[in-house]
Amino acid sequence: MKKLSILFLLAVVSCNKLDENPDSVITVSQFYKTQSDAISAVSAVYSALNTDAAGDFPMYGRNMNLLTGNGSDDQIFSPSNTNTDVRALGTATYVPANDRIKKNWQQHYFGISRANVAIDNIPNINFDTTVRTRLVREAKFVRALLYFNIVRFWGDAPLILHDPTSIDVDAQKVKRAPKDSVYAQIISDLTDATRLPATYSGANIGRATSGAAHALLAKVYATRRDWANALTEINTVINGGYGYDLFSNYLDVFQQATKNGKEHIFSVQFGTNLGAKNSQQYLSSGDFSSFNTAVYPGDLPADSTLYQLFAATDTRRAVTFFTSLYNSATGKYVTFTPARFAKFIDYSISPLTNQAQSGVNFPVIRFADILLLDAEVLNEVNGPISDAYAAINRVRSRANIPDLTPGLNQADFRDSVFLERRKEFIQEGMRWFDLSRRGGNYLYDALKKFPDKTGAAPKDTLFPIPQSERDINSELTQNPGW
Amino acid sequence: MKKVLLLISWLSGIAPATLWAQSVSDPVINSTLTGTVIDSKTQTPLIGVLVRIKGTTNQVLTDTKGKFNFKTGQKLPYILEAAYIGYKKQEIKAEASPLLISLQENESQLNEVVVVGYGTQRKSDITGSVASISKALLAQPAASFDNLLQGTVPGIAVTQSSGQPGSTATIRVRGGNSISFGNAPLYVIDGFIIYNNNDYANTGASNGGGVNALSTINPSDIESIEVLKDASATAIYGSRGANGVIIITTKRGRRGHDEVSYNVYAGSQQVSKTLKLLNASQWGSLINDVNTSTGTAKTYSDSALAALGQGSDWQNAAIRKASVQNHELSFSGGDEKSRYLVSANYFNQDGIVLNTGFKRYSARVNYERSVSERLKIATNVFGSQSIEDKLYGNTYNSINFQNTAFANLLQVSPVAKINNADGSYNTTSPYSANPTNPIQDIVSTINRTYLRRILGNASLEYKLFKDLTLKVTGGADLINTKQNYYSPSYAGSPGGSGTGYSSGGYASVGNLTATTWINENTITYDHAFGNKHFLNVVAGYTMQHQKDESAVASAQKFPNDLTSFNNLNYASTAVLSVSDGHQSSLNSYLARANYSYLHKYNVTLSVRADGSSKLGANNRWGYFPSLGVSWNAGKEEFAKQWGTVLTDLKVRLSAGRTGNSEVPPYSSLAALSPSNYYFNNALVTGIAPTQIANPDLKWETTSQYNAGVDFGLLDSRINVTFDAYYKKTTDLLLNVPFPLYTGYSSVLQNVGSVENKGIEFSITSDNIKNKELTWKTTLTFAANKNKILNLGTGIDYYFPLAPTGYVSPVIVKVGAPVGTFWGYNTAGLITASDLSKGIPTLTGVSQQVGDTKYIDTNGDGSITTADKHNLGSAQPKFTFGLSNSINYKGFDLSFLFQGSYGNKIFNFLQQKLEIPTLSLNASTTLLDRYSATNPNGKVAKATNAPVAQVTDRYIENGSYVKLKNLSLGYTFSRGFLEKIHAKQLRLYVTAQNILTWTKYTGLDPEVNFFDSDNTKQGIDYGAYPSTKTLLAGLNITF
Repeated sequence: MKKLSILFLLAVVSCNKLDENPDSVITVSQFYKTQSDAISAVSAVYSALNTDAAGDFPMYGRNMNLLTGNGSDDQIFSPSNTNTDVRALGTATYVPANDRIKKNWQQHYFGISRANVAIDNIPNINFDTTVRTRLVREAKFVRALLYFNIVRFWGDAPLILHDPTSIDVDAQKVKRAPKDSVYAQIISDLTDATRLPATYSGANIGRATSGAAHALLAKVYATRRDWANALTEINTVINGGYGYDLFSNYLDVFQQATKNGKEHIFSVQFGTNLGAKNSQQYLSSGDFSSFNTAVYPGDLPADSTLYQLFAATDTRRAVTFFTSLYNSATGKYVTFTPARFAKFIDYSISPLTNQAQSGVNFPVIRFADILLLDAEVLNEVNGPISDAYAAINRVRSRANIPDLTPGLNQADFRDSVFLERRKEFIQEGMRWFDLSRRGGNYLYDALKKFPDKTGAAPKDTLFPIPQSERDINSELTQNPGW
Repeated sequence: MKKVLLLISWLSGIAPATLWAQSVSDPVINSTLTGTVIDSKTQTPLIGVLVRIKGTTNQVLTDTKGKFNFKTGQKLPYILEAAYIGYKKQEIKAEASPLLISLQENESQLNEVVVVGYGTQRKSDITGSVASISKALLAQPAASFDNLLQGTVPGIAVTQSSGQPGSTATIRVRGGNSISFGNAPLYVIDGFIIYNNNDYANTGASNGGGVNALSTINPSDIESIEVLKDASATAIYGSRGANGVIIITTKRGRRGHDEVSYNVYAGSQQVSKTLKLLNASQWGSLINDVNTSTGTAKTYSDSALAALGQGSDWQNAAIRKASVQNHELSFSGGDEKSRYLVSANYFNQDGIVLNTGFKRYSARVNYERSVSERLKIATNVFGSQSIEDKLYGNTYNSINFQNTAFANLLQVSPVAKINNADGSYNTTSPYSANPTNPIQDIVSTINRTYLRRILGNASLEYKLFKDLTLKVTGGADLINTKQNYYSPSYAGSPGGSGTGYSSGGYASVGNLTATTWINENTITYDHAFGNKHFLNVVAGYTMQHQKDESAVASAQKFPNDLTSFNNLNYASTAVLSVSDGHQSSLNSYLARANYSYLHKYNVTLSVRADGSSKLGANNRWGYFPSLGVSWNAGKEEFAKQWGTVLTDLKVRLSAGRTGNSEVPPYSSLAALSPSNYYFNNALVTGIAPTQIANPDLKWETTSQYNAGVDFGLLDSRINVTFDAYYKKTTDLLLNVPFPLYTGYSSVLQNVGSVENKGIEFSITSDNIKNKELTWKTTLTFAANKNKILNLGTGIDYYFPLAPTGYVSPVIVKVGAPVGTFWGYNTAGLITASDLSKGIPTLTGVSQQVGDTKYIDTNGDGSITTADKHNLGSAQPKFTFGLSNSINYKGFDLSFLFQGSYGNKIFNFLQQKLEIPTLSLNASTTLLDRYSATNPNGKVAKATNAPVAQVTDRYIENGSYVKLKNLSLGYTFSRGFLEKIHAKQLRLYVTAQNILTWTKYTGLDPEVNFFDSDNTKQGIDYGAYPSTKTLLAGLNITF
């Protein structure tokens, strides 16, 4: 009996090992071995654009709009925004501890981290070199896009290019890299990305292309007022054989059926996910929650002047806004004033109220952006020459509005281009950047027109470095005025 | 024979007691006496009682009916002595036959034997802090045994998550040691070690609050519960002892009795409290005020307002009176070699909210047999199926606030009609774009959990030599959870996910199996050296392995609702299915020595070494020693001078270390997680690192010091136990904030420390004790103070992850207790003179007369987040229980008061109900809102959907006293029982939760929306309402 028990004991001892061989988790040492691993690593980089790792709202599709929309003169806040930090962004009373500024910072750097991991690990995997190089360049494109947002939002910023190798917090303490170093990295990454394929087919549609890299470079140079380089890149995008063109119908820019079309240079991809995965486009959700005109969706125009910017004939107006809804309970239309945003409503969803499943892409760069940039840069270099007029009028004519008044001086032409950009890109993550890159007090002047933006100040041209980051890393300086 | 008897009594867990010597015969007969010996309380016959004529050797044992008879040369009257293990020895003057002797149970505390880890111990020899829960309290009707722990033992705090039948409870022994992981005690059920994991009762297919995995156990199968509190008692459980250990022993058969017992109770429940909400015309007037604030025209004219009247009462439309019933049948018995118990139970509690409830079917077999003088085998097995119909809403363990269906209902506009004229549900509302009806949603949504569990172990004890016993135990705990969810095409749901209306019918089925196996091998040496030195040594090696696997499949867009969740093939759209799985192992070496000199001076030394697979490769093993000493001063010579005034004085001291490793499996590894993207409209899976490896991850360690004293007063009529303790937990398993620019928000590391210190006592008093009337009172009291000492270098505080769209109401801050609320102080409303004085107002908002006045606590002239400060903690200053039991002849009356003092509750629901909007209903407190016509109003004026700040208005006093139960019973006399051939019969009525005294304005101060999340205790976001219950029952034994 004794022997038996001891035997039993020994038999069991040997089978209860303490080493972990996880059933349901992949660990780093098991991964980055095959082509399929490399592809998944890069999909994760793109995923940073449309999904939050912790289940928060996505960067493109909600959170970034809080900085670029609410932080600009397009929006203030909606009464349905119960988060005080969201409201503070709209009223320009935000502080460095603002949770939504921190979330945007986090979402950008999380994406950069994924790109860093991909860029560092994929070259060590042995597979088809063409695909391998392409994947690394795609990761570099996204990394550049994210650093471009960061450097515009916050100026000097930590320039992180590798995954941490230690869990020691002190080992992570870095200084903010000067803006120029960040831009140098962006330009280097994008230059590499210009050797990406011009187009993709089938299951690869939606990946970053060489055209997207040139277009983003154009925006980077224009932001830096490096007009000559900007013009070179713009010309490559327009005349480089990519076949980019405007949709004849403005609505098609924001529809499921026409996604990744000729006008789209780079878009963040969304799908009607039917609850499969949480990568939800929020810009239209809540639009149909109630027929009560005082129950609001998450985003509202700052006031009725935004709607009134548009001429009645402007086809963009009815795409960008809606003013009434049919109530089947009463059989009547309900009218909303001011008008509500409609740009990202997915009309292919049934029932239409189920916008949580919107599959509309978020256009990051589209051809109209490049045309208006062309007009802007030509004007900066040569004044309002006819090519500059041609570029802006191409966008105006698609919107069914008359050509821009001829004979404007350079300053008026510049203002006209920025006004056109405002109308063209409402809710597309452009306005705050356009206001801030004008420099000086341009952004402040635009904000202070709204009495509700009580905290508007010249310091608003840069967002504050999140307080919690400075609490952990005292090496991080704060932006001027904050 | 004596040897066998001794062996039996030793095996049955009862210390050998000295009885009288051998029997002799007597040939001359002068008198005949027959009699019966019974238990004074239960009136049941006692078998094997030794009855002796005083001063002689003439003695007999009672038979299986408790009867004895003497034929003796002695003449009546004479004195009889009756002795029985566990009962007080009694002398009775025998004058005539037949004689009824009723024995009282021995309640002198120090001679009791209590169950401790890996063995039993005389209470007199114990050095640690161990409390037993009285039988009377265990006899209370309850769905789950954790409901019974409240107020019974000092230092154990139980908070129900909600009133949902079968819901989880948060249980803490002497406060919480950890911030992030595992503060629940360890359970040892008949030697089987369980760390209760309610995640095993949740597959992810259903939504709503958690299902209590402990509810699988039938509470009336439980014979005794011991709570081990200090390190001396718990260190034998090493890594899992830090949060206390609750030892549960289930019932056995009694030797010489074959009994059949049937217990039944049934009753009715009703809601304890409902919230006061605006009626339709009051609501209409609020809407008008909101309109005024936005400069728009009033929605309702005065005549329209009057016409609105009461409107719909959505809250009460969802509430009903509900029944509860319980049936239990058990067979038990035994002989010299074997004992057995077979029981079956059916419990059914309907919920007071429509379409909710809890059912349990369970069966148990306990069996033990002495195969030979050396070998004893035993097994304890139960199987059960629990079925819970949950109120849907916030997903269990989700960080997001999502209305429960009940909280959602509170906000439905009273203007909307519940039913149409034809009785069907009205689905059109001017205030909702979705054609759904919240009552219909509750009634039609299937949200069911089946929780099936088989827990069994078998043991073999072999006496290798005299005093040396080998015990090998093997056991398995098998849990299977199946969840079914179906939201029909016409049903909405709060929060929107899994809504049938928007998805054309949404079905989800989930399955989870969790298997734990355990093997424990111990050797026990138990020897008395010359009746002076008592030594008991246990050493052993144990292993435990856990594995869980789960899967959820969902689909939507069904052509009709006929098949609900039963056939996903009918759906036209698949939802991505998910599965998951984990494994973990724990191997341990343990040793303990108990030494006692004359039962006066006692020492306990124990050590356990635990190796856990969940920790980092470099630090898997942890070592947990303890030392305890105690001194029975009452047994010293000098104690005799105290006489009966002060008895059984005992002093205890202990110190030791215990641990906690309740992190999820794979926490120390460099893990990658999936995330998703679309290319060309097709979903692709991205994989990226989300966790940095920490191969040094190690045990969270709690050092605990305990000093205690036990004594009796007035001949032990009053017994007092007092303990003071200090606990310091270091190397906390904490998600240390990491700079976000690294790509990681935190890394799990061993950082920081927390302390808990407190006192606790219990006083038991036999107020009246005579043959006909006994009255016993027990008071328990515990005060614990929790404080965070350190969160790592450079970190003073952090906010736990707040739900998306909300600001965290709690803070984790050095110097404050875990669960500290953080927000603004307010001082009523802003007046015109305030504005003219230019007092600071909330930054970014244009504050007017009648808005909330915030206090500029830091005096910087503006109200910003820097003005938030400590608004109190969810941890009570003290908790107490007061129980009374009174027996008069056959009647018994008992009642238990239980309370908590000094804890705060964040009444999030009230905050939500005080936000005026143009579509949602609100609390009647808004009737006293500031307005031009009510300038003295106490509540902020109506504006459209103002931002809710965390303020002292909603951090409410959560102190309470509850009359938990009140029970009146009658036990029938023997005379009647003999007529119906029964051994025992008791009838009773019980009322539960009938009275609550509290200042808390919410439904129930016992509330925990975030379940056992340590940092988010005491948050009320509209829980399932609690109930009052009235029951009647019967226990009968044949």
